[in-house]
Amino acid sequence: MNRSFNKSQPLRNPNCNAVEVKSKYGAEFRRFSLDRVKPGKFEEFYKLILHIHRIANMEVLIGYADVHGDLLPINNDDNFCKAVSTAHPLLRIFIQKQEEVDFSNFGNNTLTRKKKAVVTLRNSDINRKRPHIRIGMPQDFRPVSSIIDVDILPESHRRVRLFRHGSEKPLGFYIRDGTSVRVTPHGLEKVPGIFISRMVPGGLAESTGLLAVNDEVLEVNGIEVTGKSLDQVTDMMIANSHNLIVTVKPVNQRNNVVRSSRMSGSSGQSSDSGGSTGYPSLSVATVREMSSGAHSYHDDLESDEDGDIVIESNIKRPSQRSNASPASNASRTHHQTPTAPPVRTASSSPPSRPVSVISTASFQSQTSLNGGSHEQHTQPLHHSSNPALRHSNGSLHKILSSLKTDPRHSLALPKGGVEEDGTVITL
Amino acid sequence: MKRFRRHAHESQRERLKQELFHFNKTVEHGFPHQPSALGYSPSLQLLAIGTRSGAIKLYGAPGVEFMGLHDENAAVTQVHFMPHQVELVTLLDDNSLHMWTLRGHKGISELLEIGRFMLTGPPGAPPSVTSVTAVLAHSSGELLLLGTEGGHVFVVEVPGFRELEERNISLDQITNSIPDDYLGRRNLEHVEALVENPINPSQVVIGYGRGLMVIWDLEKKNAVQHLPATQQLESMWWTEDGSHILSSHSDGSYCRWRVGGPEEEEEEEEKSDIPYGHFPCKAISKIVQLPTEEGPPFLLFNGGMPRASYGDRHCITVIHGKTHVALDFTSRIIDFFVIRSGPQHTGDPSALVVLVEEEVVVIDLQTEGWPVIQTPYLVPLHSSAITCSHHVSAIPLKLWERIITSGELQNAHYSKKPWPIMGGQNLAPDPPQRDLLLTGHEDGTVRFWDASGVCLKPMYTLRTATAFHTDADPNDNMNPSAEGEWPPFRKVGCFDPYSDDPRLGIQKIHLCKYSGHLAVAGTAGQILMLEPNDEAAEHTVETKVVDLLQGQEGFRWKGHTRLNVREDPVEFPAGFQPFTLVQCQPPAVVTALSLHSEWKLVAFGTSHGFGLFDYQQNNNVFVRCTLNPSDQLALEGPLSRVKSIKKSLRQSFRRIRRSRVSLRKHHANNAAKIQEANARMEAELAEMELAPVQRKIEARSSDDSFTGLVRTLYFADTFLSDSTHHTPSLWAGTNGGCVFAYMIRLPAIEHRADEPVTAQPAKEIQLMHRAPVLGIVVLDGHGAPLPEPLEVAHDLARSPDMQASHHVVVTSEEQFKVFTLPKVSSKMKLKLTAVDGSRVRRVGVAWFGSSRTEDYGESGLVVLTNQGDVHVVSLPHVKMQVHYPCIRREDVSGIASCVFTRQGQGKHGSRPSLSGVLPRADLSVLRQAST
Repeated sequence: MNRSFNKSQPLRNPNCNAVEVKSKYGAEFRRFSLDRVKPGKFEEFYKLILHIHRIANMEVLIGYADVHGDLLPINNDDNFCKAVSTAHPLLRIFIQKQEEVDFSNFGNNTLTRKKKAVVTLRNSDINRKRPHIRIGMPQDFRPVSSIIDVDILPESHRRVRLFRHGSEKPLGFYIRDGTSVRVTPHGLEKVPGIFISRMVPGGLAESTGLLAVNDEVLEVNGIEVTGKSLDQVTDMMIANSHNLIVTVKPVNQRNNVVRSSRMSGSSGQSSDSGGSTGYPSLSVATVREMSSGAHSYHDDLESDEDGDIVIESNIKRPSQRSNASPASNASRTHHQTPTAPPVRTASSSPPSRPVSVISTASFQSQTSLNGGSHEQHTQPLHHSSNPALRHSNGSLHKILSSLKTDPRHSLALPKGGVEEDGTVITL
Repeated sequence: MKRFRRHAHESQRERLKQELFHFNKTVEHGFPHQPSALGYSPSLQLLAIGTRSGAIKLYGAPGVEFMGLHDENAAVTQVHFMPHQVELVTLLDDNSLHMWTLRGHKGISELLEIGRFMLTGPPGAPPSVTSVTAVLAHSSGELLLLGTEGGHVFVVEVPGFRELEERNISLDQITNSIPDDYLGRRNLEHVEALVENPINPSQVVIGYGRGLMVIWDLEKKNAVQHLPATQQLESMWWTEDGSHILSSHSDGSYCRWRVGGPEEEEEEEEKSDIPYGHFPCKAISKIVQLPTEEGPPFLLFNGGMPRASYGDRHCITVIHGKTHVALDFTSRIIDFFVIRSGPQHTGDPSALVVLVEEEVVVIDLQTEGWPVIQTPYLVPLHSSAITCSHHVSAIPLKLWERIITSGELQNAHYSKKPWPIMGGQNLAPDPPQRDLLLTGHEDGTVRFWDASGVCLKPMYTLRTATAFHTDADPNDNMNPSAEGEWPPFRKVGCFDPYSDDPRLGIQKIHLCKYSGHLAVAGTAGQILMLEPNDEAAEHTVETKVVDLLQGQEGFRWKGHTRLNVREDPVEFPAGFQPFTLVQCQPPAVVTALSLHSEWKLVAFGTSHGFGLFDYQQNNNVFVRCTLNPSDQLALEGPLSRVKSIKKSLRQSFRRIRRSRVSLRKHHANNAAKIQEANARMEAELAEMELAPVQRKIEARSSDDSFTGLVRTLYFADTFLSDSTHHTPSLWAGTNGGCVFAYMIRLPAIEHRADEPVTAQPAKEIQLMHRAPVLGIVVLDGHGAPLPEPLEVAHDLARSPDMQASHHVVVTSEEQFKVFTLPKVSSKMKLKLTAVDGSRVRRVGVAWFGSSRTEDYGESGLVVLTNQGDVHVVSLPHVKMQVHYPCIRREDVSGIASCVFTRQGQGKHGSRPSLSGVLPRADLSVLRQAST
């Protein structure tokens, strides 16, 4: 299975609209062709594969070798289309039985290990540190906490989405009443506001670094909190806790993303001053696909609690019953949500582990190793191995180069002082 | 019944909404919160009560009530009716005066504020000059005399509040007239009281705080007589014949002064007396003397008790000839007045009306023994703390009469005299139906109130404590009036906030109005099944112990123990008598209760689980433990935690005391140390106060405490297994967002008594948001809620549609969700908390009739949120219809105790009402009127 492909096949097909396909299942090869322009649906392709290999009634996973030699999965129309259109010249398909799938192969450069020249150029830093960055299967992708809607918000505001799916981490923050100063036509006016008052060490809010003590809460899941009491806002946040989107006015406005142009503005990136602290505070480097963000969380809003668990006529013992484990609950939820766009992060993780922990581990070391400017280069390259990101590849580089600074990188707040800060800072 | 299609006819829907829903705040019931002033008009026969929150309430004949609210949020300190007028004047503690009047409007009188006034002194004068301390509404009805802190008396013309400066009586005028030998002439202090001469309206007596009283002639503008009392003055009373003035003083004495010409000054002090003397006494704050046709006069005064031994009593002493009684009230006396008989209200005293902080007590002074007259309104609902309430509308006449009869037997000790305050006329039509409000109290009583009309009338009191052995001996007399006791106390009033045994507290009530079966559940896990009996009977109560833990091992219940049931036969008075007791083990508070009288089943739940009991066969059908075994708090009972807090508090106090004591012991350089310690304590306190209020943001989890607490139980005849066979079912919702459904198999009617009832689990729904489940309702094929048990059998509801598929509506604190049946899948939902941050506190089903047509109406969910708003949510589509602000957000207890009524009659004008019970103060019934 792990045989590497180290030499390119000669171009055999003179018909430039047809893509030659070489499909391998176990030790068997099949060859056929597909239309490069109209490859059809993945469903049909899947049936065709099963038919050609005569392996009906079997759950298989289809993978292909991309131009870089990475083994990437084909499991929907998009990546099928991508695979066909980028096949150069030959589309190499690898079929694995579902139960035998070795995920560690995917996204790994095992297929291209001998293409040293290319690989080292692109991935040298990462490889040296961590040779086994793995890309998960799309069904293992799930949304992680991120900054969203950067393109539609004022620069002084930040919309943060905290995802708890599958995570055992508490949301981990406190809010309080306070006063904020607003600019009105009649001059400055003091108005009551809601502020973040405390972070729980190791909680989602603290570990993602997306929120900070004394950030003013402006909206909860798109609903303004003006005029609402502390208890109301608390209840709103708890009611939305499975997919909490908080719009804040960060207390530290120096780290705002400075946008050079409208078009590149939709990407938010955050990292944290975490290197200086004791606990794994991390930077989730999140590069979002620009179009999907705004509406995707509305989808999530709609679907969020079809995760109710219903047991029909099922006699269970009381000891098992009352605490249906949150993990299973969450995973059900996940399966029922419309396929989350597989673009959130490049890091793969075993399904049950909290996403942000993984990303913390992988990026933190990187941060400490590399200087800020270098980091910006390594990340996009790393991401580029994700097939789903590929099509937005061009603009991605533009975005990243347009980022003047890493937003939170110069965060001057000492961690200890931030933890329990009762004073009201109004900006 | 029509059905609505979504999105279609939006405007039509809007119109329909206006026809269906209309919100009226109608009446507030019960006793006003924190009364602060009392007034009475003998000519109008109206009683006025002012409250600390600035409300003014007028009461006349039963059903005649007026309410006004001052714009200022200041306490009403005095209320005075203008003699023989319809106006009344209120003084607020912000020194503003307000004039109110009753004005006829379309045949109905309204209470209106017609003027306000603030006394203005000369420029540069200190505020005390104009700070009003005494008000006299002059008998002419045109003048108001205002005594002030500075000692001046201002004269104001009403109703226009025009200051008559030339008639003012300045302090200088008074001091100039005082004889030089009066010791206190340098400082007379404030005007404490102003009283008019009953036979000469031009004379008033001005009483100063220091004790001097001056009779002043308003016409001649000179002092007529000086009454030089030496003690601090509290009040004055001018006897009806004008011959004497009574003054009461802060040392507990009163003096009788003879009023005569100035030439008779030498013998003015006729009599001085300290009624409860020898030892220092408290002040007599008000004194009244009223003559009788024949015989000695009535002397009534407030206070004057010996300071050391009875200083904490709230007493009014009534002396009539040889009869001397100190009426002993359970709360602070605000004020009192005496109603006199006769057409001009000048005859013999007939009734004493006392306003104390928690109730109004009326004493019949014409009947031997001075019995109490039962009040038709202003009844303190909270005579013992209200722990729960239950509303039943449209009570069948038969049950109604039985309750009334039982109640009459209980009220034998009240006076037979009619209610003496009969001002006004109640124009409200007779109530269309008989509504009953049941309140459960901390002392184990259940009170039945007639809630059909405007006022809430007490009907009957059920005592559940008789079934149990309690620490308090039931034969213990409330009035141990030992012979020869001095002062001669007599306890009056029913306000009794002290419960003998908190375990007796009533937590849940469910009454079936058709069968008369009543289920009452309490704090110590007891569920009593009762039925009405018109005669007293002696029988034993059968007890069934139900173990809700089902053998969960390894824990110790640290809460209260169960109540001990009397095993010997107990004599129960006529009324509701218990026949079975279901005792939950562990004896935790019963948190949910539901009764199905048609199936003869009762379901109950605690923080440990829920069970189903067959009260026909006296047999427990099944028990389901809902407890999360790791939930230590629920396992052990809440009391253990309270204890530990108490303990730690006590310890910390001891520590503080010890440190202080030790500081005192080491006398050397202790001053500095004490200062240091004090400074440290202050700093700590300041720190505590400065710490901001913060709220933790955390998702609910299955590990939270009390997730297994059962919040709601519901019986339904619906489809659980397949869509062709409907069966009885029991639904339960927990604090952790879990819903359980059990299928119940009832034996055929002819075998109901001998074949067992069985049940098996059918469904389990875990809501993902895990918010507490507050209500479960099954909708029939038409989308209408299933009728109540026996309703169809009594032809009072149409049978539910069993053809089309049913739905179940689950209301949690955060949202409303509709699931299909028999296959449970989510169909619709409405989010509340996620959108506006308010949480559902109470939910009920109500029927809304259209105001335009008789034949149209629809059911909806009525919801009260923790913000005090009432929302109406349509069924079956769970769409928000209307919402109204209803109860103040801060009024937590009011919100917590709100009950919704299910429905009125099917007629036009049917009005489901909801009532908010304010356990400490008043109960307000708000009508959700459909007209």
